[in-house]
Amino acid sequence: MSLRPKHVNFDETWGTLRRTIEGVVTLSKVPRVEWNDRFTDVYTLCVAHPEPYTNQLYSETQTFLRKHVQALRTEIEKYESNSSLLKVYYDMWVKYSQGVEYLNKLYSYLNQQHVKKSKLSEADITYGGVTDMPGHMIEIGELGLEIWRQDMLEKIQDTLIELVLEAIRSDRRGDTAVSTTIVNGVVHSFVAVEDPKHRIPGDPHTHLTVCHPFSASPTFYEKAFEAPFLQDTGRYYQQEASKLITTCSVSEYMEKVIQKLNEEDMRARRYLHASSYGKLSSECHRRLVSDHLSALHSECRIMVENDRRQDLTNTYGLLKPLASGLNVLADTLEAHIKKEGLEAVGNLKPETAHMDFVESIILLYKKYKDIVNTVFKSDQMFISSLDKACTAVINFRQCTKNPCRSPELLAKYCDALLKKSTKGYSETEVDEKLSQSIIIFRYIDDKDVFQKFYSRNLARRLINHLSHSMDAEEAMINRLKQACGYEFTNKLHRMFTDVSVSSDLNNKFNDYLTKEGIKLPISFSIMVLQAGAWPLQQNPSPFAIPQILESSVQKFETFYGRQFNGRKLTWLHHLSSCDVKLSYTKKPYFIIMQTFQIAVLTSFETCDEMVYRDIREATRLTDDQFVRHLQSLIECKLLECDDKEFTQDSIIKLNKGYSNKRAKFRISGAVQKETPQEVEQTHVSVEEDRKIFIQAAIVRIMKSRKVIKHNVLIQEVLQLSNGRFSPTISVIKKCIETLIERAYLERTPNSADEYSYVA
Amino acid sequence: MAASGATNDEMMDIGGAELDNNKNEKMFTLKKWNAVAMWSWDVECDTCAICRVQVMDACLRCQGDGNRQAGGKQPECVVVWGECNHSFHHCCMSQWTQQNKRCPLCQKEWSIQRMGK
Ligand SMILES: [Zn+2]
Ligand SMILES: [Zn+2]
Ligand SMILES: [Zn+2]
Repeated sequence: MSLRPKHVNFDETWGTLRRTIEGVVTLSKVPRVEWNDRFTDVYTLCVAHPEPYTNQLYSETQTFLRKHVQALRTEIEKYESNSSLLKVYYDMWVKYSQGVEYLNKLYSYLNQQHVKKSKLSEADITYGGVTDMPGHMIEIGELGLEIWRQDMLEKIQDTLIELVLEAIRSDRRGDTAVSTTIVNGVVHSFVAVEDPKHRIPGDPHTHLTVCHPFSASPTFYEKAFEAPFLQDTGRYYQQEASKLITTCSVSEYMEKVIQKLNEEDMRARRYLHASSYGKLSSECHRRLVSDHLSALHSECRIMVENDRRQDLTNTYGLLKPLASGLNVLADTLEAHIKKEGLEAVGNLKPETAHMDFVESIILLYKKYKDIVNTVFKSDQMFISSLDKACTAVINFRQCTKNPCRSPELLAKYCDALLKKSTKGYSETEVDEKLSQSIIIFRYIDDKDVFQKFYSRNLARRLINHLSHSMDAEEAMINRLKQACGYEFTNKLHRMFTDVSVSSDLNNKFNDYLTKEGIKLPISFSIMVLQAGAWPLQQNPSPFAIPQILESSVQKFETFYGRQFNGRKLTWLHHLSSCDVKLSYTKKPYFIIMQTFQIAVLTSFETCDEMVYRDIREATRLTDDQFVRHLQSLIECKLLECDDKEFTQDSIIKLNKGYSNKRAKFRISGAVQKETPQEVEQTHVSVEEDRKIFIQAAIVRIMKSRKVIKHNVLIQEVLQLSNGRFSPTISVIKKCIETLIERAYLERTPNSADEYSYVA
Repeated sequence: MAASGATNDEMMDIGGAELDNNKNEKMFTLKKWNAVAMWSWDVECDTCAICRVQVMDACLRCQGDGNRQAGGKQPECVVVWGECNHSFHHCCMSQWTQQNKRCPLCQKEWSIQRMGK
């Protein structure tokens, strides 16, 4: 075979070629040799000398295909309106489309040499109307499909589509008389008859991007099939929905809707082109869900209140795709958690208030956290409902005059867990409970108030050696630090430091005593606390320290004065304690009691009965303090008194018949009960600390910024105090004024609302 | 309010609690004293006149630094006494004397009498 151009007789060659292509488009058997020859013929015609016959070949082929398709249509019209039309069409289409594909291969040369050259620019594609442009060639395969669309599909599409819709409707009714393959094939022929270059790619994800440059005008498939299909579907589900909603409960309705949406998704995959999946689901969703939103919303409250988790799961799933569909549900949940929480902590018994408060909130939190995670798939919107509700419950104030009690209760709860006698809890349980208390801590608005109460309790535990484990104490402080930052736990850390510094100091003091050859009359141990870090009461009373303790005081003061410079020691006798042995009883007892108690008790060294006035004068305690400690000794039966109310002349007797089943114990004595005044005092000192905190924050900001606008400064202070307390703007302003007065910052001369740092 | 005198069943380690059967034993024998004391700077006024923060706490600038050592206190943020016996944060006074060599409270010339330790 020669590839060189030569003279050809067009009619003769076309005649041969035409016979072969008749076979090709009807999928008859074409022998390999014949195929090869015709392949060459196409080539020969396209390169003929002196003039190639390309255009002639193209237009003859076009005419041939058109006639062929028209013949097929004449045949198919016999089946008009008959359901077997679908099958007949499908068979013809399968045969034709495949034939055309072969034909395209046979015309490879023409396709490659001529069509490619006249390939359209993107602009041409976008503005459409390509095929009608004279002189333009498209690939033969495409040409075949184009002709099918114009001469077959567009002529019978109404009938065809009605049959397809009917088939899908019967499918919805559960009747699948028409084969899926046929319906699917027919539907897909709507896609195939359009050149893919002229269509949006069949990408199911692009169905929402209406403005895609290539989808500016709808495709043939969308226009001819999809639009009527969606309309029909919409109508169908509109009717279904109104039928269901009147006969079912909302709960049943949702179950059915979910089932229907699922089925329709499956159906889409059976029949439709991928680009329609999303559009179909949103159409169904609109008819079944959006159109009945108020019915679904009206049920939210009852579902939440009755903890109907399956229904809530369904509601969430159905409303999630809607822009603001979940707002009502999230608000309902928030209101309900808040209501349940306030009820749970509304009426606490005073004695167990701290336990009941914390544990019921933890219970509430866990319950709804679980619902948020499982039912609402950890959706941010519902996490925030839970957060808002917890914040509201935990920071709730019966009236604005009284401070919120949560910080105090939570601190007391931690205290109860960190003390030695935590009855019935294992170490792991205690640890877990403390961890959980951080959940509540995070929601507390006034964290510094919590800190005050916590540090008072910690002080009491450390001074009286009541902590059951220093590791647990430290772990808890670290949790607080993690949740609220270093400064927050600063003072708590300083208290810890004092405990370990004191233990060093005791060792050094003992070394000193040995070196100096001093022997104290009593074993001595001390805790030296730094003022400021410990939330301690002032010495509540003057006190005549028992003589036996005096030398320890003197010796230690001398020692301490040599260790440090410029420090003074204040003895906190109301916090100290003594180990005492009783020898007047049947068997000896070893008791730990407060130093004030010891002073009262040892007055009985020389006589068994004493007058109230005489003991008080000997101890020099104030009346108030004296009564407390005397009372405590009577309550634990070491002393006795016949008077119900003490008078200055009351006779107090030593109980020589005292007995106790334990030989060693501590009498918890006159531990100062928390008075309302003290609680108030705590709140007042919080205010003071806040001012210092704000001032320090301003200094820190100014130090790094040097010059700053008023509003920016306020914002940054708010940011720094965030998570600790919420200062009012006026308090911040006052602090700024104070610092200007004290020359830490000044107003800049050029602007009224700008400050600069004075280094 | 009367305090609770109920016995508490906590096991205590009682120091020096060995039994001695001395017949002349006193009725009450004090075995061990667990004393508690508080230290503070030996100052006339416990607030620093310069920064208005308690001298036991770090000065305002040190607090502003959010210092992380030693429980928020810088080791050098101690108290300093002048010959006039007025006292301030050492940090505050060092800053002050760069501008003014006199005591801010009594205007006497500032010279350090002692430093806290
Ligand atoms: Zn200062
Ligand atoms: Zn400082
Ligand atoms: Zn002075």
